[in-house]
Amino acid sequence: MNELLRTYGRGLTSVFVLLTALWVLGLIVVPQLRMIERAFIVDKRGDEAALVATDIERAYARMFSVDQELLRGGAPAAPSAPSPFAPSPSARSPFAPSPSASGAGGGPAGTDAGRVAALEAEKAELARRIAELEAREAEIKSAGSPGYALGNFTGMSRIHAWIFVSTLFYALCVTVLSFVACYPVAYAVATARTGERLALMMLGLVIPYAINELLRIFSWVMILEKQGILNGVLDALGVIDMGAGEGVRFVASNGAVFVVMVYAYILFMVFPIYNTIETLDRNQIEAARDLGASTWRIHWRVVLPHAKPGIAVGAVMTFMLSAGSIAAPEIVGRGLHPDWFSQVIYRRFFESSNWNQGSAYALVLLVACVVFVMAVMKLFRVGIRDIAK
Amino acid sequence: MHGNDVALTGVSMRFGDFTAVHPTDLVIRAGEFFSILGPSGCGKTTILRMISGFLDPSSGDIAIGGRSMNGIGPNRRPTALIFQNLALFPLMPVWENVAFGLEARGVKPAERRRRAEELLALVALDGQGHKKPTELSGGQRQRVAVARALAVEPAVLLLDEPLSALDLKLRQHMRAELKDIQRRTGVTFIYITHDQGEALTMSDRIAVMNAGRVEQVGTGDEIYDAPASPFVATFVGEQNAFQGRVAAVAGGIAAVDTALGRLQGRAGDGVAAGDAALLFVRPERVALTGAGDAGGANRIDAEVERRDLEGSFVNLFLRAGQHRIAVHLTNAGAGRDTVAGRHRVGFAPADALVMKAGEVARE
Repeated sequence: MNELLRTYGRGLTSVFVLLTALWVLGLIVVPQLRMIERAFIVDKRGDEAALVATDIERAYARMFSVDQELLRGGAPAAPSAPSPFAPSPSARSPFAPSPSASGAGGGPAGTDAGRVAALEAEKAELARRIAELEAREAEIKSAGSPGYALGNFTGMSRIHAWIFVSTLFYALCVTVLSFVACYPVAYAVATARTGERLALMMLGLVIPYAINELLRIFSWVMILEKQGILNGVLDALGVIDMGAGEGVRFVASNGAVFVVMVYAYILFMVFPIYNTIETLDRNQIEAARDLGASTWRIHWRVVLPHAKPGIAVGAVMTFMLSAGSIAAPEIVGRGLHPDWFSQVIYRRFFESSNWNQGSAYALVLLVACVVFVMAVMKLFRVGIRDIAK
Repeated sequence: MHGNDVALTGVSMRFGDFTAVHPTDLVIRAGEFFSILGPSGCGKTTILRMISGFLDPSSGDIAIGGRSMNGIGPNRRPTALIFQNLALFPLMPVWENVAFGLEARGVKPAERRRRAEELLALVALDGQGHKKPTELSGGQRQRVAVARALAVEPAVLLLDEPLSALDLKLRQHMRAELKDIQRRTGVTFIYITHDQGEALTMSDRIAVMNAGRVEQVGTGDEIYDAPASPFVATFVGEQNAFQGRVAAVAGGIAAVDTALGRLQGRAGDGVAAGDAALLFVRPERVALTGAGDAGGANRIDAEVERRDLEGSFVNLFLRAGQHRIAVHLTNAGAGRDTVAGRHRVGFAPADALVMKAGEVARE
C-alpha cells in the first residue's frame, strides 16, 4: 500500500483501490453471495410461482409485439426468429383475450382502423392481466416467506445426481484426453528452434483461437454431421457409401462432445505445459539421453516431473471449463447424448424458472469441482505454490 | 573400468554455409587425459558433440575402440558427457542422479542404490545420497556429475568446460581431483576448455584449435615451448611479439630486423631470409641485464611503465618505442625489485622463436 502511494501518489492510488474494491465487491462477492443465498431458500410453492412467472414473461412478450404492430400502424408483425435458447419456439399466449386480435391468422381483418382498435383493446387487456399476475406473484412470495433450508440440495432427484456424477467423470475424460493431445504439441513447440516455434504457435494455436468459440463448435458439427465432411472423406475413400444412406452419425454422442471440448480447450492445456517445458534446461534432456535413457524414460523421469506444475494448471483449467461448459454439449449433443450437469442447471434456470434450485445445483457443481481439483492435486503432490511459480 | 581410444578421420562439420570444423584427423589414446584447447567458437564443443553423438559429422568417421560410431545414437555410445552447467536432475535426490544411467539399463533398485553409494564414495560424497543437488555446494555438485557419468562405466568421458563456473580456489582443487579420478579409473578423458592453465596442468596431451582447425597436438611442454603457429604461440601463455623481416638464417638461428633493431631467435619451420616474420619471447625468459652487462644479442633499452604484483611473480611492463615488453620476475622480497626508471633488458636467442607472420590470438 505504501509502495503504491509512493509510486502513484494519493489521487491515482485511491482510484486504483476504489476500482479494485468495486470489481471485487460488485462483480464477484455480491453476485456470488446472492446466488448462494438463493441456493438455500426453498421456494415451497415453486410450481405455482414458476407458472405465474412464465405467464408474466409471456404477457410482456405479447405486449411487445402488439406495440410493434401498433407502431407499424396495424400491419402484422414479421415472425420473429426463435431464439436458440427459447424453451419452446414462438409459444402463443394461452390467455390471449380475443382470437381475432392475435395476428393475421383469421384472414383479412377488416380495415386498418379496426385492427388498431382491436390491438389497443388487446394491449389494455394485457396490461390488466400483467398487473393481476404481478399482484399474485407478490402474494405468493409474501405468503411463502421461506427461511433458509437445504431443500434445494436434498431435493435433487436420483437422475440429476447421476448426471452430476457422470459430468465429473466426463470432465475428467476431457481433461485426460486433452492432456494426451496437448503434451506432445507443447513439447514440440517448446523444443523447436525460435523461428519454427513462432510458425507452429501461430498455425496451430493462435489462429484457431482468433475464431469465436461457437463458430469453432459449429465447424466441428459440420465435420461430424451424418452428411458431414468426415463421412464425405470416408465415402471418398470407399469405406462407406453415402449414396446408399450409409454413414456414421458422429454427432450427438459423448465422444463427439469430448472431441469438440478437447479442441475448444487446447490452448488452456498447451500454454501452461509449454511454459514449464520451455524453462527446462535442454542439457538435462541431452544428459538423460547420453546416460542411455530411452525417449519414454526421458519424458517420464525428466520432462514430466519438471512440467508437473504446468500440467496441473492446464488440467485444473480444462477440468473446470469442461465441467461447466454449456455450448459444446448443447450444440454437439443435441439432447441425444447423455446430459451434462451444466445443461440441467441451464434448464433449472430458464425452463423450470426455478432459479433457487438452479443456484443450488450450480453451487454444488462449483464446490464439487474445487474439492475434486484439490484432491487430484494432493494425489499428484502439486502444491498451490508450485502452480503460482 | 578401462579407457578406449578415439580416432577421428577426416571429420568435418558444416552448419549451412558456416564450417564449424574443417576436416580433422585426431587420435586420442586409450586412457589418456586429452584436452582440446581453444577460444570460444573455435569448434571444440562441436567436436565434443560429434564424439558424444549429439551431432552427426558432415563428413569423416569417428571410431571408439576401433568401432565406427556412424549411426549410433548418444544413448548407445560408450561415452558419457559432463555438461558445462552439469545438467544434474534437480528433482531427483543425488543418489538417483548418480544411478540414472543404471536405471536406464534396467538395473534393480537395490543394486542401483548400492552402486550409487560406491560411486559417491569414489568422489568423496559418502552419505550425501539423500540430498537434492541444490543442497550441495558447487564443488560437490561437480563431483556428483562426475559420479553420474562414471556410473555407466564409459570408456570415454567427455567434459565440456565443467569447471568454468567454479571460483579459482575450488577450480584448482577440482583440477587435481579430476586428474586423480582419471588416473584411478583409467578412463579416457577428453576435456574441452578455453583455459590454458587447466589444459596445461591436467593433460597428458593437448590439441590447440582455432577457427575450426587443429593447429597443434602435443604435450604441454611441446605446446608451450615449441608452438607450431603464431596462434598457438600467443594463445597459450603470454608472449612478447616483435614484428619484422628475416635478415638471415644461420645454424638454426634467424636474425630479424625489427623496429627495435636486429633480434635473434630459433628459426621455426620454413623460415627463410626475406620473410615477414614474428619473433616471440616469453616474459619469464626476459631478464633485466643489470649494470655489469657485457652486451650481446637481443639487448633492448626500455623504460618501466607499470609494475604489477602477482604474488610469487612481479610483472613489469616496459616501453621501448612503440613496443611494450612484459618481464616476469620472481618475487625476491619486498622492495628488492623496485626497478623504476630506464633499464636494459635481454634474452638469449635460444629462448626466442621466429615464425612466419600469421594469425595471432586476440588478447
